[in-house]
Amino acid sequence: MLIAMMVVLVSPFFSFTAYAAEGKRMIYDDANLMDGNQRELLESAAAKYAQKRETDFIIYTTNNENNVDVEKLTQDFYDNKQFGYDKPHGNAVILTLDMKNRDIYLAGFYKAETFLDERRLDKIRNKITPNLTNGNYYSAFSNYLSTADRYMGFKPGVNPDNIVFNGWFQLSVAFFIAFFVVWGMRANAGGRVTVNAGTYANAGTSGIVNKHDIYLRTTVTKKPIPKPTNTSGGGGGGGRTSGGHSHSGSRGKF
Amino acid sequence: MAVLDYKCPNCGGEMAFDSASGMLSCGSCGRKDNIEQSSDAPNPSVFAHGEAKEYQCNSCGAVIVTEPETTATMCSFCNSSVVLIDRMAGGFAPAKVIPFAISKAEAQKAFQKWCKNGRLTPGAFMKANRIKGVTGLYVPFWLYDLHSDVEVRAHGTKVRSYTRGDYMYTETQHFDVYRDIVLDYVKVPVDASEKMNDELMDKLEPFPYDQLKNFKTPYLAGFIAEKYNFDDRQLMPRAQHKVDGYIDSYVRSTMSHYHTVTYQSKDVDTTSRKAEHVLLPVWMFHYDYNRKKYTFAMNGQTGKVVGRPPISLGKMTLWFSGIFLASLISVKILSAAMGGGFW
Repeated sequence: MLIAMMVVLVSPFFSFTAYAAEGKRMIYDDANLMDGNQRELLESAAAKYAQKRETDFIIYTTNNENNVDVEKLTQDFYDNKQFGYDKPHGNAVILTLDMKNRDIYLAGFYKAETFLDERRLDKIRNKITPNLTNGNYYSAFSNYLSTADRYMGFKPGVNPDNIVFNGWFQLSVAFFIAFFVVWGMRANAGGRVTVNAGTYANAGTSGIVNKHDIYLRTTVTKKPIPKPTNTSGGGGGGGRTSGGHSHSGSRGKF
Repeated sequence: MAVLDYKCPNCGGEMAFDSASGMLSCGSCGRKDNIEQSSDAPNPSVFAHGEAKEYQCNSCGAVIVTEPETTATMCSFCNSSVVLIDRMAGGFAPAKVIPFAISKAEAQKAFQKWCKNGRLTPGAFMKANRIKGVTGLYVPFWLYDLHSDVEVRAHGTKVRSYTRGDYMYTETQHFDVYRDIVLDYVKVPVDASEKMNDELMDKLEPFPYDQLKNFKTPYLAGFIAEKYNFDDRQLMPRAQHKVDGYIDSYVRSTMSHYHTVTYQSKDVDTTSRKAEHVLLPVWMFHYDYNRKKYTFAMNGQTGKVVGRPPISLGKMTLWFSGIFLASLISVKILSAAMGGGFW
């Protein structure tokens, strides 16, 4: 009995390890920003998300000795490695870190192109850039994986950071509705006051006897309309690889 | 001492006020007498105040034991209706009365129904089988006719925003605002009995003033009545307080086209033009539940019931969880409809 229980409890880990082992490599830390243990952890997280979203979650860091543009770097990497969960050159999202120029590029291919469009990739980039700037590569990368995974759960086109989608927000809205309804029921259990100003007022003899509204002056204040700013010179947009695969994209500096 | 009672001229039976017909009705032979045409206005200033008094029932001779405020009651031995006429002498005579429109049986039934409607009341309470007493009570009220002079000076602004080029402009127009307002409030009721909970009595309103009748003692037959503990002067602050909120909202309504209003001065002078002593009909219910006493009151004309029933924690939790879950599911559905997935 006890052994059976242990098998049941442990078996998911076995199957998980088995999947990760037979899955392909997704973390290419050519710039050596992390230790082996961190790479292992990211590798298994990426494998888990890949299965869930049917999309390869790729991280690519490079010292970029040949000084290639980061977007081109990403496109060639995709063409060469033939990423794709469903087929070679299929669904994939790639984060490329160019350590030479301190450039960052995010690209979504096929399913990831629709589910991780430019705006969502921009959001992910803005989220992880501070950590990258500070050299916290591991936490930036794991944040990238989990956020990309989360965003893929939303229909294309909607803002995934809309507060309505936030679980805590939903819980608190439900809590406040229930609280105020029950509080109202309790407060009204003893009967409500049903008279108002109109009940006893004698409208015939009540009213304004005298009044004035004298215009004094006009004051005007002006302030500049804040312009939407692109953080860290980002932007970019998508493109097409030499192999003819179209993708969404977001680039920036860190 | 002087005690009025109502014996049927036909059969000598006990007569009492009948809420259905609004007449004095004999329980034995069914004779009905019109009250409005009888002429028994209590004789003022015959009796001196403050004398130690003992009242005796005209029917059985028993001593009638009452509280000092009571002006009408029932003999505790023979249940005859008696009016302690000398206690209503002088300033204590009410000018008007609204008689009961709801009989004791109807009141009891309506109250039991009300008990069942409470969404948070415990199930055992809902059975309403422990109603200890149902008392028809004429509660003394003062009806104030109030006249308020209001003078307000204020600074008002109107704000308009627009964009031109790269700038957002906010244009604020300033006004010197002055209002001189008179407001009349008629028949603002304030209960004059010390025993009665003010909050409870306020919630009983409104009373239908078209039912106000000139006071005649037979209206009290079969009910308990009290004389007031506070005169109109003493209760004037409460009457003022009752209309203060109404005045504020009226003043605000005359300035509603301003975006912001800052009062520089606001003088409200409320005076009483007239204060009438009236008796208003209230059914009182005493209910023992879980070794605690609960008091409820019912408007004797409209049937509105007020009073704080016990609250069942279990029912409150149930409602809370139910509404919480329902709202959570609604928000989740909304989120899913917007493309965010259910979980």
